[in-house]
Amino acid sequence: MNERIGQMKARVRAGEHRALRRKITVDVLSECEEEGLSWPWRAARLIRRQCEAEQVVIDPREKIVFTRTLPAVIPPIYKPEDWARLTAGRTLHELGPISNICADWGLVLSQGLLGRKSAAMAALQRFAGDKAAVEFLECAVETIDAVLALAARYAVAARRMGRPDLADILERTPAHAPRSFHAALQALRLLHAVVWLGGHYHVGLGRLDQYLWPYLKADLDSGRLDVPAAEELLAEFFIALNKDSDLYPGVQQGDNGQTITLGGVTRAGRDAVNDLTHMVLRVSRDLAMIDPKINLRITPQTDLDLLGLAAELTRKGLGFPQYSNDEVVIPGLVAHGYSLEDARDYAVAACWEFLIPGRGMDVVNIGAVSLPFAVDAGIRGGLAAGAGFDAILKITADDIARQVKILAEAYAQLLLPPAPYYSVLMTGCIERGQDLAQGAVYNNFGIHGAGAANAADALAAVKRLVFDEQRIPPNELLAALDADYAGHAELRRLLADQAPKVGNNDDQADRYLTALFDFLADACEHYGRTNRGGILRPGTGSAMYYVWLVRGHPNMREPVVGATAEGRKKGEMLSANLAPAPGAGVRGPISALQSFAKINYRRVCNGGPITMELSDTVFRDPESIRKVAMLVRAFAQIGCQQLQLNSLNVATLRDAQAHPEQHKNLIVRVWGWSGYFCELGPEYQEHIVARHLYACES
Amino acid sequence: MTTGIVFDIREFAVHDGPGIRTTVFLKGCPLHCSWCHNPEGQSSVPQVISGAGASRVAGVEYTAQALAAILNRQVAVLQANEGGVTFSGGEPLRQANFVAEVIDLLEEIHILLDTSGYGSESAMNLLLARVSMVFFDLKLIDREAHRHFTGCDNDCILRNLAVLGKSGVPFVVRVPLVPGVTDTDANLAAVAETVRGLTGLLRVDLLPYNKAAGGKYRAAGMEFKPCFDEARPLNINTGIFKKANLEVHVL
Repeated sequence: MNERIGQMKARVRAGEHRALRRKITVDVLSECEEEGLSWPWRAARLIRRQCEAEQVVIDPREKIVFTRTLPAVIPPIYKPEDWARLTAGRTLHELGPISNICADWGLVLSQGLLGRKSAAMAALQRFAGDKAAVEFLECAVETIDAVLALAARYAVAARRMGRPDLADILERTPAHAPRSFHAALQALRLLHAVVWLGGHYHVGLGRLDQYLWPYLKADLDSGRLDVPAAEELLAEFFIALNKDSDLYPGVQQGDNGQTITLGGVTRAGRDAVNDLTHMVLRVSRDLAMIDPKINLRITPQTDLDLLGLAAELTRKGLGFPQYSNDEVVIPGLVAHGYSLEDARDYAVAACWEFLIPGRGMDVVNIGAVSLPFAVDAGIRGGLAAGAGFDAILKITADDIARQVKILAEAYAQLLLPPAPYYSVLMTGCIERGQDLAQGAVYNNFGIHGAGAANAADALAAVKRLVFDEQRIPPNELLAALDADYAGHAELRRLLADQAPKVGNNDDQADRYLTALFDFLADACEHYGRTNRGGILRPGTGSAMYYVWLVRGHPNMREPVVGATAEGRKKGEMLSANLAPAPGAGVRGPISALQSFAKINYRRVCNGGPITMELSDTVFRDPESIRKVAMLVRAFAQIGCQQLQLNSLNVATLRDAQAHPEQHKNLIVRVWGWSGYFCELGPEYQEHIVARHLYACES
Repeated sequence: MTTGIVFDIREFAVHDGPGIRTTVFLKGCPLHCSWCHNPEGQSSVPQVISGAGASRVAGVEYTAQALAAILNRQVAVLQANEGGVTFSGGEPLRQANFVAEVIDLLEEIHILLDTSGYGSESAMNLLLARVSMVFFDLKLIDREAHRHFTGCDNDCILRNLAVLGKSGVPFVVRVPLVPGVTDTDANLAAVAETVRGLTGLLRVDLLPYNKAAGGKYRAAGMEFKPCFDEARPLNINTGIFKKANLEVHVL
């Protein structure tokens, strides 16, 4: 990282650019009302006015421009009462606007916005009689023109300010295909930023090393650019992505979905790793900023040099890269109806959910099934009725199905607002004459199966201690659960210490882990097609539900569970994603990987990583870093699906809690994303500090 | 059926030998080194370790079959990643029959013995016949100093070092650098002189003293009474080894 980049990073971290933000409210609503505009036209007008309201900022120190000057609030396009009427009886996904998908950036760059406009014009001819299609296409064109006008203003200003380098680029892109790597990054910066201006969020960046590689390769081959210069441009692009984290909505700051997915295979199935794959990892390592979040697709054959480079990035403690295993993910997607070519083209959404750039309008997170709640219902119901263990499993499975149905039914009424600009960036929306809100190629829902390790441990404890060994009478366990273990300390210790635990490659516990996900998959399959024509994709993530499912959250559809039979007291947090339950004794990462490899991932394809923390002392020499690379390879060899590896120093975290002012730059992985430790809520800080460390110091 | 007592099994022990390894810590050690950072490994009976709010028992008795079964479940992973199983302690020589039986029950895998060298010659030979590599701790060459700081003299340690040197098994000599005790030029020179020329010696590793060593004592219900000055700067004199034409690493 050279001095110029270092200074640029420092300026962004210090928030200098925030002074350029204007405290204005862009009024879009009045004209929408006066003109009586339709919803699609209002959405297009929003993009138009937001682009117009942006003030051009050309910092002489920047080679890639666009600095947001508009505030976080997206101007309303409906009066509150009209909005209420429009959405009455319907379910909005989170905040409402389409989010957490990934555009076909490669397509838009290669065609240029004018190429997309030509496609829209051609479609207008084809759909001449179709009022809805014509309206959509005209709205799409309106947004294209708005973005082009913004680019043109930037170009004029650049020319006026004596920046012919920038002016040349901005006069050509994003209207036309970029002629250089620099131009491609500049075009991407602008196209991506406008998505945010439209009120969309969790705006993914997809397979950047694939779609930008042709531009970089041409520059490198012709000698127009060398590797250090290319890395400097990439670094500048990455820094720009960090400018507006504070404006983006998310459960916690940093949860903004600006992810990149590297490596893997091409649509034709060939190895997709290229020089840009390595460059992204290097630049991300050297920058050490929370955006963009990196995912790396690997196989058991991925070479250790690439994994070693990735391990050096892990060493930075940013909590990425997150790894996914193509040999497991791709067949899983195919089994859920994705074409092989599309499955090979998968990227990772905001956290870990797999989706196809340009083609996926999957809503990958419609909520969580509380596996601990279902198991608790099974245990309490079964034991109270004097039933056998099989009955407990049956009640558990039924409750999982019940919870799935609640989530799916809520989303049967899903309302996605029109998104003419995002539609321009997708594969085929223009060509079909249909807004993205009407769907894309894939229109599935994703459901998390949260708290799996805790839930499986509870079943294993009851099986062993209540049924097999009969050391705990059923009524005593029920009384202890009701009392939150008050007055039952011995019994709690027995459950916590004397029963098999997930994470030790012990079938006595792991069989329930696999059973729970099979129940979830059964429930999703049984539900069948949704009225968006898609399916329910079960997954292994937890998102923030490891907190919410035990402490509650306003307006949550998921049930809250009290004390549970693995010896967990009410309010104690669950494991995040796939990890041994907090406090469960485990030997280390190999057995944990072997436990989680038993899940039938063909049936569970929404994503959700095995989450592991390694002590930062593991990374102190090159040999050990190579061993981390081998551990990641072992994850793929064993047949696991996804892995999130973190480097942690507990002493540092404790110090940061006590002296946050001294640790402003301390970054940690939270559940599927990375953020600044000191900007997290205390309950999230607490969970990170308490996470099990696979201690490696002897 | 032989049984043994183990105080920990730890996977991905990155500093316990080549590749990805799982380390078995055998409980019970004849030495009581003043700087010991695994105090729960000293006693050969189970003991309660009380941490913040929770407690656990260190020391589980395994049959050789049960321990081998746990390890065999991951041999393929360790094998595929240039690694294997390390037996450490405590002192594995003290439970040599148990360790040998476990090794005999394991599938083909790289075995590393991490030993203080304190044990009978027959125990040493029993294990040397079964291992691929040895980490041999060498603390103090002076017999009296050794007795003072570890509670035992070093006669059998030096004898087993010679046995190791003749065995042909590749080995690494590891010297814990304890301020003012083992890190003196005189001791390091004596170590270099002792190990020079031994067949199979790969290198000398110097392990700088870690101030966190005392951390586990209270939890194990023991008292940490180092009879040396923890704060004294370490003398990491690699030159002595280089001059003797020995490869030396500082960990």
